[in-house]
Amino acid sequence: MRYGLLVQGAPYSSQASHSALRFATALIARGHQLECVFFYHDGVYNASRLAAPPQDEPHLVDAWRGLNAGHGTQLQVCIAAALRRGLLDERESARHGKTGHSIEPPFELTGLGQLVDLGNQVDRLVTFAP
Amino acid sequence: MILHILNRSPGTSLVYRDTLSAMGPEDRLLLIEDGVLGALTSQVRHFQSVEGRLFALREDLASRGLEGRCDETVQVVDVDGFVTLTEEADKTVSWF
Repeated sequence: MRYGLLVQGAPYSSQASHSALRFATALIARGHQLECVFFYHDGVYNASRLAAPPQDEPHLVDAWRGLNAGHGTQLQVCIAAALRRGLLDERESARHGKTGHSIEPPFELTGLGQLVDLGNQVDRLVTFAP
Repeated sequence: MILHILNRSPGTSLVYRDTLSAMGPEDRLLLIEDGVLGALTSQVRHFQSVEGRLFALREDLASRGLEGRCDETVQVVDVDGFVTLTEEADKTVSWF
């Protein structure tokens, strides 16, 4: 089956990211296809390229990247939720006259329309919220 | 059949009431995260109306030290079982 996940919880604030990641690993191990993880609301903090957790803790951002590298899962970030929280890719950073950027590929800034499309494309869309 | 997923304890949130009132006769309810507190014998009465269709996530029970205190009417599933529940449902609804 084709799956999509919607993550709305910030890392280290709620269990949502960990629950979603554990579910993602399990569904892939069962032979399903994880098309996309969509990060929305405070979930956009999962995409921060500057995240530097202690080395003896799970690195959530790297774990999401690993899903993309190992499984081709798209990592989409709601642009409206991200920009107002200071999460910008290079293009948006330049557009807003900022120094530096906090989002980089494989995470991509997209709109809510992409979430609607995802819901239509996949067999199951599962939400993990704070 | 819809799989409803609840991550709030009945002791701290009343969202479980909305969940139960939204559930159809065949729908299932999976308790995850702090929601697994509802699977304890002392709390499970809140979910009487869905007895036999009530599940709790083993990993979240275990991480809270509650695995042995889950009521026997609750079906405990691990994360693989969680995936299976989503396979068997037409869709899922998360309550939080």
